[in-house]
Amino acid sequence: MYVILVYDVDVKRVAKVLKIARRYLTWVQNSVLEGELTPSQYFQLKNELRRVANLNEDSFIFYVMRTSRYSEREIMGVQKGGWETIL
Amino acid sequence: MKESLYIFRDGQLRRKDHTLLFETADGKRYVPVEHVREIFLFGEVDVTKKMLEFCSQKEIPVHIYSHYGYYMGTFYPREHHVSGYVLLKQAEHYLDPSRRLALARRFVEGALDNMLNVLRYYKNRGKAVEPMQEAIESHRREVETAGSIEALMAAEGHARQAYYQAFDAILEDEAFRFGMRSRRPPRNRLNALISFGNSLLYSAVLREIYHTQLDPRIGFLHAANFRRFSLNLDVAEVFKPLLVDRVIFRVLGRRQIQADDFLHELGGLVLRERAQRVFVEEFEKGMRTTLQHRRLKRKVSYRQLIRLELYKIQKHLLGDEPYTPFVSRW
Repeated sequence: MYVILVYDVDVKRVAKVLKIARRYLTWVQNSVLEGELTPSQYFQLKNELRRVANLNEDSFIFYVMRTSRYSEREIMGVQKGGWETIL
Repeated sequence: MKESLYIFRDGQLRRKDHTLLFETADGKRYVPVEHVREIFLFGEVDVTKKMLEFCSQKEIPVHIYSHYGYYMGTFYPREHHVSGYVLLKQAEHYLDPSRRLALARRFVEGALDNMLNVLRYYKNRGKAVEPMQEAIESHRREVETAGSIEALMAAEGHARQAYYQAFDAILEDEAFRFGMRSRRPPRNRLNALISFGNSLLYSAVLREIYHTQLDPRIGFLHAANFRRFSLNLDVAEVFKPLLVDRVIFRVLGRRQIQADDFLHELGGLVLRERAQRVFVEEFEKGMRTTLQHRRLKRKVSYRQLIRLELYKIQKHLLGDEPYTPFVSRW
């Protein structure tokens, strides 16, 4: 499944959240990461985030698409990050 | 979904924040480690010990290629899937000449059948490959009766020679004439492509073996010697026509790789970096292609198919079910 993660967390936890998210997804912009995950990877990611976050203050939004086939991705302005497997 | 990571740029690869960081002169790039299946290093990449430890922990093999694109070796992480029983069975089959021959024969039969399928495809497109088809078919019969590994290797070698002759009829391109097979170093463009493609496949199969209980050092067609992995060479034989040769036809047919993409180095020819990238991209596309699996009744990618092939070999060794190689159906 294709997942886009958007988060808004207290500054105290931003770095922790970013470190975890980066292991599973590709950083695209401040507080935005995306990538292809298996259901189990998705589950693990959420679990790890839950461990460091304070869910009374922090907010995570996961946009989950079964396939990215019908979506289109348009970038306006600067491309800040991205995912490639051939570097 | 795990992906293979191919690095052509020069830089440093290390462990950072429990994931991988690739740093080049123009910036940092974090690579989601949970996404990485294996790493191919083509560029001049410095790696750290911590990064290798991390790869071992995450079960990620690292394949290293030289400046000229030649396979140099693999950092094969500590094995996580070991089974004394499977290892004994594998050694037992290797040491018993008749059982070794039976399994080796299967690999060759699979290879030849897939070669014939590739040629049949081009024959239907009006290419003059009929004489080669007949030659391979006659060697195919020799394979069935070969009484020793040497006889088997000879039949395989002759069939492959006929098969590679067919490349000229298929490609019809003066710049990419086959001539004869040459390795270490490859002496013409087509040979350089074949060598490069085969080395990619060997590494990819090796990685799949890593995730099974089989030992990559004990091959059956290829003798187990003192340093090399050889089981991956056996299994790769079955898939070369489908995963390497078709890529060659594709990139040459579309003129994605051309005559000036090669350099004279080390007494032979090597691919320029640009061409390596193109090849790798097409190879990766092939590995991701899915097809309907008749027995499993679902779609599987060619990469998964390699893994399934290994499971079939394991079953054969354990005496569950005799191994029959994968043969394409188009």
